[in-house]
Amino acid sequence: MTAFERPLKRLPGRHSLFWKLACLLIAFCLLMIWLSWSWGRYMEQQNAYLSEEAKTTLSGYAAQAEQAWNLGGPLGVDAWLQAMGKRETTWIGVIGNDLQSLSSYPLSSAQNQRLTFLRGLDWPVSRHVKGLPWLKIAFPGDPEAGSLVIELPQRFMPGRYQVFWRVVTNGVIPGLFTLLLCIGLYRLLIMPLNQLREQANAWRADQLNTRLSQDATSRQDELGELGRAFDHMSERLQGTVVLQQQLLRDMSHELRTPLSRLRVACDSEQDLAQLRQRLGREIDAMQRLVEDSLQLAWLDAERTPLTKETIQLQALWDILRENACFESAWPASRLPCLLGPECWVRGNLNGLAQALENILRNAIRHSPADGVVCLDGRREGEYWHLWLEDQGGGIDERDLERIFAPFTRLDGSRPGDGGFGLGLSIARNALQRQDGSLWAENTGAGLRVHLRLLAL
Amino acid sequence: MNPAASILTIEDDPVLGAYVHEELARSGFQVTWCQNGQQGLDMARERAFDVVLMDILLPGLDGLSILTYLRKSHSTPVILMSALGAEADRISGFRLGADDYLPKPFSMLELRVRIEAILRRVALDRRPLPALPVRRENAPSLRFDDELGDVFYLQHAAGLTRSEFRLLETLHRNVEEVLSKAFLYQHVLQRGYAPHDRSLDMHISQIRRKLKAIGYSEREVRTVWGKGYVLSGHDDSL
Repeated sequence: MTAFERPLKRLPGRHSLFWKLACLLIAFCLLMIWLSWSWGRYMEQQNAYLSEEAKTTLSGYAAQAEQAWNLGGPLGVDAWLQAMGKRETTWIGVIGNDLQSLSSYPLSSAQNQRLTFLRGLDWPVSRHVKGLPWLKIAFPGDPEAGSLVIELPQRFMPGRYQVFWRVVTNGVIPGLFTLLLCIGLYRLLIMPLNQLREQANAWRADQLNTRLSQDATSRQDELGELGRAFDHMSERLQGTVVLQQQLLRDMSHELRTPLSRLRVACDSEQDLAQLRQRLGREIDAMQRLVEDSLQLAWLDAERTPLTKETIQLQALWDILRENACFESAWPASRLPCLLGPECWVRGNLNGLAQALENILRNAIRHSPADGVVCLDGRREGEYWHLWLEDQGGGIDERDLERIFAPFTRLDGSRPGDGGFGLGLSIARNALQRQDGSLWAENTGAGLRVHLRLLAL
Repeated sequence: MNPAASILTIEDDPVLGAYVHEELARSGFQVTWCQNGQQGLDMARERAFDVVLMDILLPGLDGLSILTYLRKSHSTPVILMSALGAEADRISGFRLGADDYLPKPFSMLELRVRIEAILRRVALDRRPLPALPVRRENAPSLRFDDELGDVFYLQHAAGLTRSEFRLLETLHRNVEEVLSKAFLYQHVLQRGYAPHDRSLDMHISQIRRKLKAIGYSEREVRTVWGKGYVLSGHDDSL
């Protein structure tokens, strides 16, 4: 790994929840900023201009003032102003182009000063202005003739609903959006957790067979991983519980047989030497049963990886063959190994030796009188694929998987004679613990047991 | 072998303890039997025993604690006994410095073999090794090279590993004598022997293959069933 790749490795994966959350939150923040900026501006503008109603009313006043001036001169303007004074409470004046009053009353100096800065009709009106703004509206007929000057009536003042709109744009709408975000996050994060909690509660009620729904485990992100881990855990839990119960049941059943035989031997009269021999045999069988069961339980419960070493299959086969020949009185020539000296595998010596020994014992037990059991294999990439073949006629296709379950005896052989049916389960567990696998196949002439082991 | 070797047995089960006591005494050992863990530790510290044999589950003080305390000051060989299948006990026992581990139930024969293996190893450790007996035979024989850690036959190197060399050397030093697996584990691999342990068998298998490869056939490593291995030159010895 180069120095550049290392920091990248620490980034969450492509399907990580991090990216979903980051996108969601960044998008939300940008949306909020854009909304408050654009809406705020829009509302500000909307509230700065006079309404259409105000414009028409005030333009109407200007027209009336022009009419009054055209018809009656200063006196007409006076009369119109007097009439307007009853309708509008604010100050109204009519001025000529020289900024002098067109009525018979001259302007006071304060009014004159106000006239020096006059707002147009279409100009924005700020809320921050002191008092009410004054507007100058030219006569619509002849703008050169004069203008109406009016202090804007309070009712036309824009921005009366500004507080309301501010609450809407700055409070209610962001609140609603945040609520939507919360609902989204809840659905994204908390709902799967609720499902996990329900499953945990189901375990508490001893329902070990409940599993998470398909969409909870098929997610690609961390919560999906958690769901899958959870499911795997419940699978193992259920498997372990079932195995323990099965083991306990089978073991007590198997122990009953030697015990009852001992009881019979104890009750019936026999000479001491024979009784002792029998005792020894039954004790050996019981010890082997307990040992095998414990080993199976241990192999199944233990998860720490076994120490691995390099093993030459030829050398291992020599040991096993020597043992097997001694036990079964077979000549070594009936147990050939077709593997070359180049077959080295990585595994746990004791585990592999025991697995192979169990398979070999099984093969020998089911071989015909002059049968041959042979070990062969080939290299397949990173693995060695080995197989052990006997000529015992094979087994029913349906039993090919069942023979690896503990306490499975196919031919109904008596316990003690044919073993307890633990050998192959121990073999499979031992191989699985060293990253290998074990399966069986019928060849027509006999059973072929396949092993897959890591090559050196 | 010193027949008057002294053994301290710490075992709380009265039936098993009495039986072990009686049988070991019959085999010629001086046996002291103690039923309590604390007492056992005190005795092991006060007197020099050749071997301490103790259970792991004990009243007063359990076997693993006794071992821990004892190892602070004494190097007396210790054999632990415990119920079958307690794999964790076996591992922690060896880690704390036990010399061997015997799963219960065991036969007296098994126990005796293990005690003898340890006594023999201790005796070998204490005594400086005598030089290899010089053999003057007509037939060419194996030449052991300690520096290289390998054996030669007619100038051909066998290419043994360190453990294989030590094993063959031990067998060669005691030629024609059956050496128990328990002893070979103690002496060559420096650990206790467990029933499913195949390391020693694997070394033997490799030695046989390598000796065969260099064409040495004067003697061979034979298996003596239920006992151990022997380097023997006679075909009719079994």
